[in-house]
Amino acid sequence: MTKERGYRFRRALLSALVGGIIIAIPWISSQYFVMMSVRVMFFGMLTMSLTFLAGELGAVSLMQASFFGISGYTVALLESRYGFPFPIPPLAGLVIAVLAAGLFGLLVVRVRGIYFLMLTLVLGQLVWALACQWSSITKGDTGITNIYAPTVFGISTEKSKTAFYFFQLIFFCGAMSFLAALKRSPFGLMLRGVRDSESRMAMLGFRVHLLRYAAFVFASLVAALGGVFFTYFTGLINPNTVSLPSNVEALLAGILGGINSLLGAVVGTAILKTLDVVLSGITERYMLIMGVLFMLVILFARQGIVGTLMKYWNNRLFPSRSREPERRPGGFSKKPDVVRNP
Amino acid sequence: MSTLILMSLLNGLTLGALLFITASGLTLSFSLMRVVNLTHGAFYMAGGFIGLSVLKFSGSWLLAVLAGGVVTAALAFIEERFLLRWARGNDLIETLISLSVAIIVGDLVLVIWGGYPRTISIPEALSGAVSIPLIDTIYPVYRIFTVGLALVIIGALWVFLKKTRLGVTIRAGVDNFEMVSALGINVKRLFSFVFTLSGFLAGVSGVVGGTFLVLVVGEDWRILTLTLIVIIIGGMGSLGGTILGALITGLIHSFSTAFIPQFSLFVLFLPVAIVLSIRPRGLFGKER
Repeated sequence: MTKERGYRFRRALLSALVGGIIIAIPWISSQYFVMMSVRVMFFGMLTMSLTFLAGELGAVSLMQASFFGISGYTVALLESRYGFPFPIPPLAGLVIAVLAAGLFGLLVVRVRGIYFLMLTLVLGQLVWALACQWSSITKGDTGITNIYAPTVFGISTEKSKTAFYFFQLIFFCGAMSFLAALKRSPFGLMLRGVRDSESRMAMLGFRVHLLRYAAFVFASLVAALGGVFFTYFTGLINPNTVSLPSNVEALLAGILGGINSLLGAVVGTAILKTLDVVLSGITERYMLIMGVLFMLVILFARQGIVGTLMKYWNNRLFPSRSREPERRPGGFSKKPDVVRNP
Repeated sequence: MSTLILMSLLNGLTLGALLFITASGLTLSFSLMRVVNLTHGAFYMAGGFIGLSVLKFSGSWLLAVLAGGVVTAALAFIEERFLLRWARGNDLIETLISLSVAIIVGDLVLVIWGGYPRTISIPEALSGAVSIPLIDTIYPVYRIFTVGLALVIIGALWVFLKKTRLGVTIRAGVDNFEMVSALGINVKRLFSFVFTLSGFLAGVSGVVGGTFLVLVVGEDWRILTLTLIVIIIGGMGSLGGTILGALITGLIHSFSTAFIPQFSLFVLFLPVAIVLSIRPRGLFGKER
């Protein structure tokens, strides 16, 4: 019992410390670091959306950036072309992205495993093609510019990066808690059941298609939220946002951090975005380096950084936890039940 | 019939022929190995650019086609032997490895040949245009040749898969992999062979396609997307399905490019959605 209390105390202390640092960032660090944190947060939401599906459902999606972009494009259009007042563009963006996820979801829940990956790749590419070709709406390759962040409670988040940081932080924490709550809930347990043995779940009377569909839409909502902040912060959106490299980058960030934890998604995104900044100063071969890194991570480090650390963490720092039955990790480390006949 | 409709019809046929050549390799390796080779589009583009350089040096278009095919076949062999075999049995990991190879090959092509759009010049013997009898339309010889080439490849693949011992082994492996390996056939070598053949077909289609489409960075993903659509519509591992899927994709893409250019690619969402709603494994796909 004392061990358990000690564990709780240490966890509360750690949370307070991390929380304190996150809130203090705008005052204790440079403007540049604040901007980097903002970038990590909106791209982190995209990565989280992907790792949620990969970890809980075992479905690797290559179209989450599409929903990130659909909400982004909606915000951009309503804001810069039609001049709607603040709360309307982001709300409309989320609604339209969820509708799109509802439409594409009808198709993608019908397939599993590599078929899912293949189909989401194709659908993501079709959305990208639409962004490039439908130039009367999306302005083609140049994209939409002149998007200004809103004024919230009398404070302009366009002028003050600190205000933007806190404005986004609230929603970022909301999105993270939302996904964490889903993972903890019976719904999350059912998803993992579907991941591990869909036929058994179906036999037990669960509506597996509906579960997969709901998970896809929920995940896409989080990606769409990231897209809203992305568009407001960068002030522009173009087809690059919904391109395959964007999707692959999110996947790489997810695997790099570890797909079984939400924290991993954020850590992976932070590493990749830092690498992006460092490399863009030295070389133009960002894609090449990303490809090589992707290959190395897939071949040698599928558990990801946070996955590896967590193992150490649970064994050394909180010995009481290691007695708990080990949660079966999802996604990549899992060997398929039947190797040859999917 | 108006000229535009007629031309779209013919263009759709030729695009379908090209897509068949590309997709046949992909569906062959997929049905046997259960790996969606996402490198296929990158191999198409690499093959096209290699063909471009070989044509510049040697002046022979035929040699360019062979060189494009052989080099990508070698690349495919290396990929299968040293990377995919590492993760054999976990199809998701194998597919993701092929995605990483695709990104690397795509960027290397950009480094070597640059980002400007290029086209391989049409060989002397196939240049010019002829009037097609019956419908009385003038159409480029090269494009008619593409359809002929696709027909030859369909015939060759059919003979190979139905009549030769190796082909029969491959078909048996597609249907029941365990039984084939239990019968003492060297499955590793079989996988390597099929994957290499698939790479060869991708390279050849790159040179053939690069002669009437543009070769440019980004074309790898466009071709991969179209090829995957062909396979989703037609069904995996079926030669007939691939032919039908390639025709449907080619025709729809060609007509939409002519009539609704703003949605020329996005329109392909419709056949994909319709086929997936009726038959999730594609028109000719087998339920497993």
